[in-house]
Amino acid sequence: MIDVEHLHKVYGSTTAIRDVTFRVEPGEILGFLGPNGAGKTTTMRILTGYLPATSGTARVADFDVHQDSMAVRQRIGYLPESPPLYLDMTVAGYLNFVGRIKGLSAGDRPRQVDSAMARCGLADKRDVLIRKLSKGYRQRVGIAQAIVHDPPVIVLDEPTSGLDPRQNNEMRQLIRSLAGDHTIILSTHILPEVSATCNRVAIINQGQVVAIDSPEALMSRLAGELTYEVEVRGDLSAIEHHLGTVAGVAQVERLSPEIATEHHYRFRVTAEQAAVPGEAIAATLVQAGLGLGELRRQQVSLEDVFLNLTTEEPAEEPAAAPAPNETDPETAANGF
Amino acid sequence: MTSIRTVLGNLAAIYRRELQGYFASPLSYIIAGVFWLLGGFFLTVILLSPDGLIAQVARQDQAGQLGLGAPSVDVAYEFLQYYLGLLGSLSMFVLPILSMGLYAEERKQGTLELLATSPITNWVVALGKLMAVVTFYTTMVLPLMFCEAIALGASEPAISPLLMIIGHGGLILLAASVLSLGMFLSSLTSSTVLSAFMTFALVMFLWIVDALARSLPGASGEALAHLSLLKHFTDFTQGILDTSGIVLFVSYILLGLFLTAQSIETLRFQRN
Repeated sequence: MIDVEHLHKVYGSTTAIRDVTFRVEPGEILGFLGPNGAGKTTTMRILTGYLPATSGTARVADFDVHQDSMAVRQRIGYLPESPPLYLDMTVAGYLNFVGRIKGLSAGDRPRQVDSAMARCGLADKRDVLIRKLSKGYRQRVGIAQAIVHDPPVIVLDEPTSGLDPRQNNEMRQLIRSLAGDHTIILSTHILPEVSATCNRVAIINQGQVVAIDSPEALMSRLAGELTYEVEVRGDLSAIEHHLGTVAGVAQVERLSPEIATEHHYRFRVTAEQAAVPGEAIAATLVQAGLGLGELRRQQVSLEDVFLNLTTEEPAEEPAAAPAPNETDPETAANGF
Repeated sequence: MTSIRTVLGNLAAIYRRELQGYFASPLSYIIAGVFWLLGGFFLTVILLSPDGLIAQVARQDQAGQLGLGAPSVDVAYEFLQYYLGLLGSLSMFVLPILSMGLYAEERKQGTLELLATSPITNWVVALGKLMAVVTFYTTMVLPLMFCEAIALGASEPAISPLLMIIGHGGLILLAASVLSLGMFLSSLTSSTVLSAFMTFALVMFLWIVDALARSLPGASGEALAHLSLLKHFTDFTQGILDTSGIVLFVSYILLGLFLTAQSIETLRFQRN
């Protein structure tokens, strides 16, 4: 449904995205995950025809986004980072207007507007001015605006930014309910959101797609590594010595030195392949007379995958630190 | 693909949205209110004050009866020309405020991204917006025109309705030209205040061009006179309907539309 090949975008001297290639199958939800300024918004803007790419091709529903821009625009629903709302219009009036400019015929419009409002839980806000709506409701109007013409492809740029947890949950349910009939690309820098909503995840960093897979597959990539977090009271060198001697321990790394004043130390212990040294660590420390404060087995989360993938790569090309929306105060304020 | 039907549909959608925006905004009521207040005030003062037109005509009539007759003047005609000139000047202050939000507001609220990713061309958006703001301006002028018609209805010799139509048509064409260029200036910034200032600077420039056109001798003055919007507007107020004037106004309007469409197109290439 969406076919992106070797997309590059250069702003002046900075490269916002380089060699971005991916496919999205019909009915899939693809999540773009990446820190702010990684190029998520730029990629989406190219897909929606808002920005021209410097090189490479992007096709939506078999139309080239540049050559057949109008055809693509008809088939795409787009929620930009800040919902594009006319505050002086009512919800129904606004959706009607969007329906018109998206090319809905006069006969279809009332039905489509009603169904978009129903799906987004806006039925009781029909005649309310958008100015008077709360942030969560405005976001819903933004989504309603993206689906009002029933497009095969929906692009949502940070659909849950600035929502409270309950609204967040509702938004995810709404997005999931859209899948199947629609192909969806959404971007976020909130990790749990991706595993909660997406079939596939593209991790994007410094303008490049560093990994693209299902959330489960990405997590299992790192799952080979088992780590423990240990908090111990006692003499530093003794602790390190004892931890190092435990069978099955590959690496010991000290964390948060600031607790050291009270002779409390935290360590991250990485196990050898296929070893499960948890019990042995506890036994060794207790036998050595050291105070074992905490021993916790670390679950590999998508966050680890993300950090792993987005902190390793940049070393090779520091000059390529692109930030297409770094100047955007709203993005900058969100902070990862 | 883009048939005439969809283009007209889009045009109507933009036009209606924009016009609805004016009627929903308190600012536009304030502007219209001030415009009507000042317009009505001038009308009253010119006609009814102790030194006003009606008093002067009465004195002249008396003088005429005494046999000291000054050459007769078409008072209604003179009045219309003078009053339209006043309305034109007044409009020059109002038009920048009407055009300031056309695109600046869209840029500020991020709705330009919606328009730019919808199957609708920049030309249609610009034309729809211009039509809406010109419509709003026309609704501002109409009540004053109605008042003038009442005042002039009693004049002797009666004023030709054609003269009224040409004069006010000229006023609206002048406004449309300024609004079209103002729309372009509005598309350059996301600050409505800056946009209003730039448009006002443009108005100042038009005044200077007009003043130069009147004062410069010879060919250069004449050349400027051909390009001066205000000069052609003055012709219209005198009831002179010449094609060169219409062509000039339409050219300015098209120039504004063209520049707007281009400026919105280049926005895509900027880092934003």
